[in-house]
Amino acid sequence: MAREKNYGNPQLENKLRDRYYYVDDTKPEFLANVEKIGRTIAHMCYQCGTCTGSCPSAPRSSYRIRLFVRRAVLGLEEEALTDPDLWLCTTCYSCTDRCPRDIAPTDIIMAMRNLAFKWDIIPRNFLQTVQLIYKSGHGVPNNDVNRAARERLGLPRDPPTTHAYPEFIPGIQKILDHYKLKENADRMLAEEGK
Amino acid sequence: MSGNKHQYAFFLGCIAPNRYPGCEAAAIRTSAKVGIELLPLKGASCCPAPGAFGSIDLNVWYAMAARNVVLAEQMNMDITLICNGCYKSIWEVNHILKHNDELRDGVNEVLKEIDMEFKGTIDVWHLAELYYDPAICGVDKIRASVTRPLTGTKIAVHYGCHLMKPKKERHFGDTENPMWVDELVEALGAEAVQYRNKMQCCGAGGGVRGFDIVHSLDITNEKLINVKEVGADAITEVCPFCQLEYDRGQIEIAEKFGIKYGLPVLHFNELLGLAQGMSPQELALDLHAIDCKPFLEKIL
Amino acid sequence: MAEKKEARIGVFLCHCGTNIAGSINIKEVQDYARTLPGVVVSDEYQYMCSTPGQGKIVDAIKEHNLTGIVVAACSPRLHEPTFRVASKVGGINPFRFEMANIREQNSWVHMHDKEGATAKAKDAVRIAVAKASLLEDLFPKSVPVEKAAIVVGAGVAGIQASLDLANAGIPTYLVEKTPTIGGRMSQLDKTFPTLDCSQCILTPKMVDVGRNENIILKTYTEVEKVEGYIGNFEITLRKKARGVMTPEEAEAKGIVGGGCNGCGDCSGVCPVIKGNEFEFAMAPRKAIFIHHPQVVPNIYTVDFESCIKCGLCVEACGDKKAIDLEMEDSFEKIKVGTAILATGYELFPIEKKAEWGYNRFENVITGLEFERLICASGPTGGHLVRPSDGQTPKKVGFVLCAGSRDNTGIGKPYCSRFCCMYSLKHAHQIIEKIPGVKAYLFYMDIRSFGKMYEEFYYRIQDEGAKFIRGRVANILEDPKSRNLMVFAEDTLLQRPVNIELDLVVLASAVQPSPEADTVRKLFGVSKSADGWMLEAHPKLNPCGTTTAGVFLAGVCQGPKDIPDTVAQAEGAASAASIPIHVGKVELEPYFAQCMEEKCAGCGMCVNLCPYSALALVEKEGKKVMQVTEAKCKGCGTCGGFCPGGAIHMQHFTTPQIVAQIDAFLLGGEQ
Repeated sequence: MAREKNYGNPQLENKLRDRYYYVDDTKPEFLANVEKIGRTIAHMCYQCGTCTGSCPSAPRSSYRIRLFVRRAVLGLEEEALTDPDLWLCTTCYSCTDRCPRDIAPTDIIMAMRNLAFKWDIIPRNFLQTVQLIYKSGHGVPNNDVNRAARERLGLPRDPPTTHAYPEFIPGIQKILDHYKLKENADRMLAEEGK
Repeated sequence: MSGNKHQYAFFLGCIAPNRYPGCEAAAIRTSAKVGIELLPLKGASCCPAPGAFGSIDLNVWYAMAARNVVLAEQMNMDITLICNGCYKSIWEVNHILKHNDELRDGVNEVLKEIDMEFKGTIDVWHLAELYYDPAICGVDKIRASVTRPLTGTKIAVHYGCHLMKPKKERHFGDTENPMWVDELVEALGAEAVQYRNKMQCCGAGGGVRGFDIVHSLDITNEKLINVKEVGADAITEVCPFCQLEYDRGQIEIAEKFGIKYGLPVLHFNELLGLAQGMSPQELALDLHAIDCKPFLEKIL
Repeated sequence: MAEKKEARIGVFLCHCGTNIAGSINIKEVQDYARTLPGVVVSDEYQYMCSTPGQGKIVDAIKEHNLTGIVVAACSPRLHEPTFRVASKVGGINPFRFEMANIREQNSWVHMHDKEGATAKAKDAVRIAVAKASLLEDLFPKSVPVEKAAIVVGAGVAGIQASLDLANAGIPTYLVEKTPTIGGRMSQLDKTFPTLDCSQCILTPKMVDVGRNENIILKTYTEVEKVEGYIGNFEITLRKKARGVMTPEEAEAKGIVGGGCNGCGDCSGVCPVIKGNEFEFAMAPRKAIFIHHPQVVPNIYTVDFESCIKCGLCVEACGDKKAIDLEMEDSFEKIKVGTAILATGYELFPIEKKAEWGYNRFENVITGLEFERLICASGPTGGHLVRPSDGQTPKKVGFVLCAGSRDNTGIGKPYCSRFCCMYSLKHAHQIIEKIPGVKAYLFYMDIRSFGKMYEEFYYRIQDEGAKFIRGRVANILEDPKSRNLMVFAEDTLLQRPVNIELDLVVLASAVQPSPEADTVRKLFGVSKSADGWMLEAHPKLNPCGTTTAGVFLAGVCQGPKDIPDTVAQAEGAASAASIPIHVGKVELEPYFAQCMEEKCAGCGMCVNLCPYSALALVEKEGKKVMQVTEAKCKGCGTCGGFCPGGAIHMQHFTTPQIVAQIDAFLLGGEQ
């Protein structure tokens, strides 16, 4: 079957689009990257479904972790990274604890998310957390209601973290800047805003 | 731990100090009563959040968590903490970097820019496991510290995920039906009730709470149904993020799904504080979204 | 030592098709070999083990008047015997042959490094030539073989092996640790794929064992000690205190017409109640008991761990005087020529896979428990019931690969090989017995590879069993109904499933019996990485072991179903009977020899020898060591230790080994 149909009709093209899996769809480096970042042996999966069966997200969504592992094995990079279900893993590690092949499916998901980030695919609230930490050192910073409560409890108004010792914040910023994380977060959020 | 005294650098994280300061206050005071001293870990940051940061770039997660570990290395002191999310970041990164030279070298290259070096000289503990460990404290010592037993209350224990899982890399054993926190709760005089699917996730982790709040709350709701089914008076956990999901989550569930539970949610340290005679005011229980009064009435 | 002739060595290189030639430059090694000292001919051939290949050796010996042969080919474990025969046919002593392994230890592991592999092959050939130059004529020793055999374990494997040996005229000791023979097979209800009753087809064989004049049945007995070697094993048996005498034993004690006749009067009065192991404690037994009505021998046994010695049974037994509550373990030494190990299996403790809740949820049972519950002679008379409430289950789940194919370090990495088929059979049995029942099989692959097995799978599917292609993730229990929620993914539907069931049967993985390892070590048999006993060759010698005269039958060698077990038992019996029928065995002449003029008689070697082959004797007024050649395995422990260098290890002499080391280290520079 021809992969390009050239019917000149987008609706027909879409309806009849080629569904075959071709071996040249495979990007072997995708599997290699997932295994390196996730530090696990995705290629040993025998597709038993223990992971999906253990998954709290599966019964309430179309997220199938087994399918993501399959995509890793087959090197189906785009299909994996552009699927929004990728972000429904709560990282509960039940699948990892039960996988009979001793694979860590959770870490496969984490690795794919890392790779998706390189494609600018990332939930926006994750980027906001980056900005907050860059600014204050905390993903969930202090506020005035809480400061008052702390005082009542006999605790310092600001905890002895970067809040009370802001001189540690530049060090944190240096780490984040090393990975250009703040820069990328700002850029992506700005593009979003446009 | 330094010398014979049980001293630890207390890693606070974010949610405990900045949303549930009662957890922090309780940890300091309850641990003192069983011979554990918590010292401030000055300049610590977010652990950083394993769901958000781990999803973006694990290398950043390693480096940021390593910075927190190094602060304790500089104090020559083991870390203790009271949050499962923090445990995942701090314990796991410490563990990985101790055993993986390549990642450790990568992290140290970055830390060098801020004149730090990860050396791998300390260990990381959850305060709950120190409470359970007979070499440090133990269930009997906890029981002996109780002045106001929680008799007559039924408490559902939520273990959460990132403390004990993945079990192969941890040291807690069985993750299908653990009982050790239940034992701690029973030492306070309460009944630790067993409920369906005890080990299921609260729904908050992995960034899902931020990415898809109703999906996250639907998981939380399932847990609440299972806890309600066995007539629990309260949920206890060892993770302020799980606490946030159950506590504020009940308000959100009421808003979005129209279901009300009114089930108090208390961190184990808050529970221990109550059992050791701390007042609700000293624990700032008024900051909880769900009113703890129905539970408090049973014990005060 | 004989005076050395000048060495004339022939080197022969095998291509082994492309197995060797694909990774090693044969021509280069062949040319190199010609340059080595002592080598007078260097040849090569596609397959040296073929008739023309062997012909080359025979011809070269004659043509070049060779004193030593080197074949560089595969492992000596494969073809050393072949080339020894060729050397002998050519007219030289077969022990003047030396093999260089350039396949298993070279071409197969250096497949992508032809240059390195070729260099390594040169090293191997050079080393072999160095040894071949110093080889001596040796003559194998032949020893007589005791006309008797032992079979350890009396499950279906041990029973079949014993019957075959006995029917071939060989007196056979059948040793069983429990009070009755029959093993696992006697616990099964029906057998796949024929569905015949397991006991019905096994009991005739059990009865045959009891009747066969050539079978000396030793139940409630364990192997205590094994000495000797092929043809002449001396085995000490521990007869555990049974507390009950057979009629023969009673007669020997002068009790005429006494001994146990299996009447059961003793058990009737015994006040102690324990769980019956045969029924997995789902039924009771007394402290004096038989496990089930069809035991062989039909003799009661006292469980001394729970017996309170009240004496009621002794009273009930009356004049038969069969019961002796003061009985102690006794020992017996037997001599046999060969041995068969058939120690079987037990279930992997499936509670270790905590996600399935075995031992936590009453209605989760194992496949063997199911067999007892569905069996007419079992604790429920064949009515399958839920352990929690005795109700007939209407929805039953079967969890396949429960603990098998598991690489977590908790379960077993291997396939347990019979669980697919017995789970299909279980589904059939409930569909047959319980109207309207639903059977769900959670599977990853259905492995129905045997004769008529796939047809059986077809049949069970046709009978209405539901197949869900997904491994069970976890099981939860409804605390009120005690029903089970089974979670998995239907991977074909790509949806998670949550099925509420009345009863779940775990097809638990199998593992070696707890005592198997003790028996294995006593007989000097190795085990493979998976814990089962190691056969001599996985394909070409599946019944043998690396200990001559010791053979394997049944699941102790690896999971297998009844047909495979019986087939292997017959194979082992056949193999074990050969040395006995031949009447003698040749031992490889790798004996230690004492050079008496150098021996100081210190006796250190005597204590070190792991085979008790050495002794100190008086000779011409001085103490010297003497070797019992038949016992010596040529391990070299004594030779390596002897402070005076007085021990000569035939075929592994110090000069030979030094020459090999020199040849390697000096790269051919002598």
